Amino acid sequence: MMSESLFYRLQRFVKLSLSYLVLTAVALSCLFPLWWMFVSALKTKISVFKDMSLWPAQQHWENFYYAWTKGGFGQYFLNSLFYTVVVVTAIVLFSSLAAYAFSRLEFPFKNFFYILLIASMMIPIPGAFIALFVLLKMLGLVNTRIGYILPQINMGLPFAIFLLKTFFDKLPRDLEDAARIDGCSRLGIWLHVALPLARPALAVVIIFNTLMVWNEYLLAMLILQDKAKMPLPRGLMVFQGVHLVDYPLLMAGMTITVVPVIIVYLLMQRHIIKGITAGALTGQ
Amino acid sequence: MKRLIISAGIFMSFLPFLLISGCSLSPKNKINADPSKTVVMWHWLTDKEDALNELAREYYEKTGVYVKMEVFAPSEAYNQKIIASAQTNTLPEIYGILGSKRDFANFVKAGHVLKLDSYMEKNNQEWKGRFFPEALKSVSFVSGNEFGVESGIYGVPIDVINIQYIYNKKIFREAGLDPQNPPQTLDEFLAAVEAVKKAGYQGLVSGFSEPWLIDCMASNFAWNIMGEEKMIATYRGDVPYTDPDWIKVFSIIERMARAGVFASGVVIKSNKDAELEFALEKDAFAFNGSWAVHVYKDMNPEIEIGIILPPKVSNANPRGVWGGAGTWFAVNAKSDKSQMAVEFLNWLTQKEQQVRLAKETLSIPAVRGCLESVPEELKGFLSGMKYVYHPRNFPVQEDSVVVEAFDKGLQSIITGEKTAKQVAEEVQKVKARQMEKKRQKQNNTAS
Repeated sequence: MMSESLFYRLQRFVKLSLSYLVLTAVALSCLFPLWWMFVSALKTKISVFKDMSLWPAQQHWENFYYAWTKGGFGQYFLNSLFYTVVVVTAIVLFSSLAAYAFSRLEFPFKNFFYILLIASMMIPIPGAFIALFVLLKMLGLVNTRIGYILPQINMGLPFAIFLLKTFFDKLPRDLEDAARIDGCSRLGIWLHVALPLARPALAVVIIFNTLMVWNEYLLAMLILQDKAKMPLPRGLMVFQGVHLVDYPLLMAGMTITVVPVIIVYLLMQRHIIKGITAGALTGQ
Repeated sequence: MKRLIISAGIFMSFLPFLLISGCSLSPKNKINADPSKTVVMWHWLTDKEDALNELAREYYEKTGVYVKMEVFAPSEAYNQKIIASAQTNTLPEIYGILGSKRDFANFVKAGHVLKLDSYMEKNNQEWKGRFFPEALKSVSFVSGNEFGVESGIYGVPIDVINIQYIYNKKIFREAGLDPQNPPQTLDEFLAAVEAVKKAGYQGLVSGFSEPWLIDCMASNFAWNIMGEEKMIATYRGDVPYTDPDWIKVFSIIERMARAGVFASGVVIKSNKDAELEFALEKDAFAFNGSWAVHVYKDMNPEIEIGIILPPKVSNANPRGVWGGAGTWFAVNAKSDKSQMAVEFLNWLTQKEQQVRLAKETLSIPAVRGCLESVPEELKGFLSGMKYVYHPRNFPVQEDSVVVEAFDKGLQSIITGEKTAKQVAEEVQKVKARQMEKKRQKQNNTAS
């Protein structure tokens, strides 16, 4: 009896140890590039190619200052912050309204519009760049902030609607019925019942779109011309020449760029895990 | 909720700093120019951005015309931008066109590029006469060209490039070689490689995973062995790749491979990787372009480099160096400020400005007569300009499928998979097939 218990305890220990080993390896492989980026930011142009240590003997913290000033990060940072807040807010607002309508309301051609929307996810955005530019030119929106914001909202909407509709479909209707009996309007139910319940899915929408907008550069290049309107990745381009790359400053710039995204992720972490485990991503 | 309040608090404490740094542009960057005297120039040259901005500022102070530089990088994204802008007629006054000569021809035919002959030929061809002829060829179309473009000059080169052999002087000294007398012939080159290998270094590194580089190395030998006319005759289909001269070209690469000239893994190395390897002083030789001077110095300021022409393999023709215009700009023919744009480019390609650009960006001036004024490291590349040619400037271009077979064949010689003769036969087979396809297409069109 005693030996059997020991056997099971040992078996559990081995299983757990293996799991932790695998998870540690995965975690390390995910964190290592970030660490390498940070460490490279502390090296010089020469030592970055020669010093392969995980912590340089001499740390050049001033690289962060140079990256910030040389890359003009102050202005770009504010621009990116503005674009991200506006685009993500608009996507959350419009997608949650549309997803709720697709999930709960009956209207003509509902399925047709939904399939059309989902089909637009299949179009690779860079393939549509030139057509988009022509359209924006006709609308007089080239080199305007709104001309940069609108296509990004458009890009983010299909996936967000798909995700939220799947989530709303799974929500029990009883709560909404109860709210309706209490005199709540459709819009009131969306705001007071559906949205709070969909917090995990909304967290996924927020984090995905924050990442998309924060890192976006190609569209900005196409639509914007004034340096003053460019987003943060434009600052990183200063360090990447046609032939030369200033790796320490580039890495310092990338570290600065990554910080806000990590903050958003940490804030949403609890919800995003719920969103994924609740089947928000799998659509089950 | 508590977490949200803390995060908001942290953010709010950073906000004033962000606003101050974000909203304050240094006055150095601000020029309040008259819009009617403002010309816009688009480029992708992030590493030349500061130098060009400084020159534009100087030009503004001198003439009152402000050239507003706008950088769009990387080059692939820049390319998309100019295509989209051309389709909507929103190109700036000055812009560069990337891509093949066919792309350039399309821009010209669509009326987006100003023909510059009348400006270049003013004052007894003063402007035209400044440039290296090969640099101008890169931005010109000859009469009867295959693209159907009216002959003339359609661009202004601001620097030139050429590709030569670069050697490490320190490794030369360690191997008992004289850095002042680098090898000139193939035999001398092979002997030098043997010596550096004995000293524990690798021979020659290059980014041969990028086929154009290996193509360029072989083309230089072809130029030396058979000359321009025979190369053109081959592209036209009059001389086969199984001709003894072409077999000699392939055999030289084979001989170099057998002698262990190439660094390990050379055919899977990108040029960036090869540049890093040479900068870290693992190899005695590199086959690379003039831009590499800046790259090596940036990665390793201690490196001592020398430049040599491609090893001489024949006395029949002069040695050839692959090169031509590096960066060049076109003027928008549809802009009402095209005259101002032309004047700025004329000023930018005066010797004084060219030398400044060379010093600040370590690029080779597009104009002649700068040898004494450029940095020491550039002199080898600059004096190599008299040997420069570029297959893109030939009246006949080789079929891209044949070029691919040629480059892949060279790679397989280096890896030892195929012999020179086998590759020559294979390339010729592809050439014959492509010629036949072309003939059939012409017959179909005629009927």
